[in-house]
Amino acid sequence: MIEQIRNQARQLLENGDVDVVIGYAEGSDPSRTTPIFIRKAEDVEKLIYDPRCINSLPLYLNKRHEYTRKGWKKTAIIGKGCDIRAIVQLIAENQLKRDEIYILGVPCEGVVSHPEKWDGSLHDGNRASKCIGCDVMIPHETDFFPGEKPDVDRSSPYEATSKNVATLMELELDKRFAFWRTDFDRCFKCYACREVCPHCSCNTCITDETMPSWIDPAAHKKGVFSWHLTRAMHLVGRCTGCGECTRACPMGIQVDLFNQRMKEVVQESYSYKPGYSLEDKHPLITYKVDDREDFIK
Amino acid sequence: MGKKIVIHDFEPKIMAFVCKWCTYSGADLAGTSRMDYSPNVRMIRLPCSGRIDPQFMIKAFEQGADGVFISGCHPGDCHYNEGNYYARRRNTTFRQLMDFHGIDIERIEFSWISAAEAIKWTEVIDAFTEKVRELGRHPQYDDEVVDPYAQFLVQKDQESA
Repeated sequence: MIEQIRNQARQLLENGDVDVVIGYAEGSDPSRTTPIFIRKAEDVEKLIYDPRCINSLPLYLNKRHEYTRKGWKKTAIIGKGCDIRAIVQLIAENQLKRDEIYILGVPCEGVVSHPEKWDGSLHDGNRASKCIGCDVMIPHETDFFPGEKPDVDRSSPYEATSKNVATLMELELDKRFAFWRTDFDRCFKCYACREVCPHCSCNTCITDETMPSWIDPAAHKKGVFSWHLTRAMHLVGRCTGCGECTRACPMGIQVDLFNQRMKEVVQESYSYKPGYSLEDKHPLITYKVDDREDFIK
Repeated sequence: MGKKIVIHDFEPKIMAFVCKWCTYSGADLAGTSRMDYSPNVRMIRLPCSGRIDPQFMIKAFEQGADGVFISGCHPGDCHYNEGNYYARRRNTTFRQLMDFHGIDIERIEFSWISAAEAIKWTEVIDAFTEKVRELGRHPQYDDEVVDPYAQFLVQKDQESA
């Protein structure tokens, strides 16, 4: 499979169809892979793909990163299904143009939840929770796919991938708050969850604003709650569920539980699943006259 | 004229974010018509209910508000044609987010009040104040109100004394 991808990437680079191929290469130790930017055709042998390739590459297509300002006209990117969802969402939000991107889709069998859990094979013990029930293991939007692309039904409604969402929803209100209180107690505001998110695309993040300072920069609970609520609110209807925020968190806080819950709410209220359509606008920037308003007095 | 003043054990602090074209004028009408409504509400006038960023509500709770009230024009009456439709969607999701966070969504009230509905304004505000009064103080952020830097300064001050 990876041979076909390498050949295609080599051809694209030799013909000058793309300026750069973003993919995965062997990392600093056997359990890790690293993102790689390939600009010369002879380097394509470095490309690999296996369950260790956990990084979300669409991050590098986000306009807030300097890579997008290098003057590359066309970028080829290796995408597993969940990353392609992120790319599609970026295109739907006008952050990218479809013809700037060449998507090399890979069939994916799931990835490990964390490099440390890699023991040579992928099994139920180390599979990332987002991979359970995944409907884009055969990616949906590709320019190149090794082999035949079978039709997959992707119309099923979104369900939270983590069991903790349902568990938390069953708890009483103050218990739920107590859970967040203890969980967020560990947050020291490194903003790794922001840096790793392919959808955070503000040039100046609201936490970095100082006049006025909307979000208290101190890492006490007030500032932490405010940050995580704001982050979740900014991603409503946009988060495609790559789970990178939780993986990147150095304190092991499950920051994507908020996002998963909000995805459920968006599914219930507006029957919208982010990352599947290039045209549909995300639900908070559009409206219907007869939207639900059962909570309004 | 005027209500008999009742002294309660607890007076809730309520922040109201209102649209200047409808609700603010409605409240104005209530005032000029000498209607009584509960004085617990602190109003902030914004151009449109679509301008009400969830950030404001988060900040209000953080700063010790016991309840937050949001109000704008009825659907179809928005001065900017569609601002309140966006506000409606935003608040549908924001309420669920607060619920998941563990904050009672009874403390957040959303209402459509036009410039002519001074009576509705007084009723809604009185009812909401009563509801929040029953819910009691919003205790969630209490022990965090202390500013760590201020604490540090106080400590230093005591050491040097």
